[in-house]
Amino acid sequence: MAADPAPAIPAAPGDVAPPRHPARKALPSPLDLLVLGETVHAGQHAIFVRSPAQRPILEHLRRAQGFDFLKDVTAIDLLGRDEAERFQVIYIVHRLADGSTLRVHAWLPEEADSVPSVFDLWDSARWGERETHDMFGIVFAGNPDLRRFLMPEDYPAFPLLKDYPLTGRGERRQFPLVRPRGDEMVEEAPLPYPTSIGRGMHTPEYIEEVKRESKPKPG
Amino acid sequence: MGLESLFGGEGFLTTKINDLVNWARKSALWPMPFGTACCAIEMMATFSGRYDISRFGAEVVRFSPRQSDLLIVSGRISLKMMPVLQKIYRQMPEPKWVISMGACASCGGVFDTYTLIQGVDQFIPVDVYVPGCPPRPESLLDAVFEVQKIVQEERLDSGKHGR
Repeated sequence: MAADPAPAIPAAPGDVAPPRHPARKALPSPLDLLVLGETVHAGQHAIFVRSPAQRPILEHLRRAQGFDFLKDVTAIDLLGRDEAERFQVIYIVHRLADGSTLRVHAWLPEEADSVPSVFDLWDSARWGERETHDMFGIVFAGNPDLRRFLMPEDYPAFPLLKDYPLTGRGERRQFPLVRPRGDEMVEEAPLPYPTSIGRGMHTPEYIEEVKRESKPKPG
Repeated sequence: MGLESLFGGEGFLTTKINDLVNWARKSALWPMPFGTACCAIEMMATFSGRYDISRFGAEVVRFSPRQSDLLIVSGRISLKMMPVLQKIYRQMPEPKWVISMGACASCGGVFDTYTLIQGVDQFIPVDVYVPGCPPRPESLLDAVFEVQKIVQEERLDSGKHGR
């Protein structure tokens, strides 16, 4: 048996040697070698892999183990959290026959071009991947319809990225003012409006602050 | 024993056409509900039996803007919804009035985010704002009374009523 090429993700405190999910035990050993670690929180199992290793694992879960329901595809941007990679792409798979659920987290470096699509395994992946693309800009290679999902077609950014300001970059101020005047409608430039007094959670300054505070203190 | 007894027994009254038209209009507002969130639930309560907006003549709710003259914006308006709202406002025949119901429609509410319009009055004219999150039906009724006051003050030669 080959040695595990990738370092294991350290388990969180309290998650010492969690019991393995039956679906992970059923993985053939070449696939099990791709699993970096497993955590259990509130009874929910998650296995961690490095993209694109989630593709053969998900394929096995779907085709050989009967996980017939893809609950969701989503992602996390861990910018500023001192993690090995910036993104995790997350697949939540479910087996309707016995109600068994497993999360598959795939670490994705910022510089990666794409992750493999799983729309051929579950049809519901089309929309989940579209939404994840819409919010994070992650490209799912092979998804035939990777258009904007929630945001307008011409939206210029991926809003759930942590380095995108919470209040946007002025996109919500782009409309003309419509006024009635006699029989005709006129359009004017929008009224001047005070900028947000709220603090944008994810400004560059905020991210720097989080990075500073998350560094381990000496001693 | 009827209405004519109020006319002093003569059976007629004199008034100005401006006042008469305004009185008729304010007593028969036709709301166009633009409900996108929880405020719409309170709006529905206002329209139905318990609060009964028909006591004040505004019960004919139309889901076509071409048949209505009072736009009630009740709920969050997102970046993607704002062009729709503007289109609907344009489609309403004049004269028309707008109620911005609740915190979200009036100022964005607690949702100071990239996708939420921080007050529809930036992009369409608003006559009456209703505070609350969501406002109670009594608040919406009060807003309708305020619109009625505005309607009563309208001038037929102002240009708002067409030529």
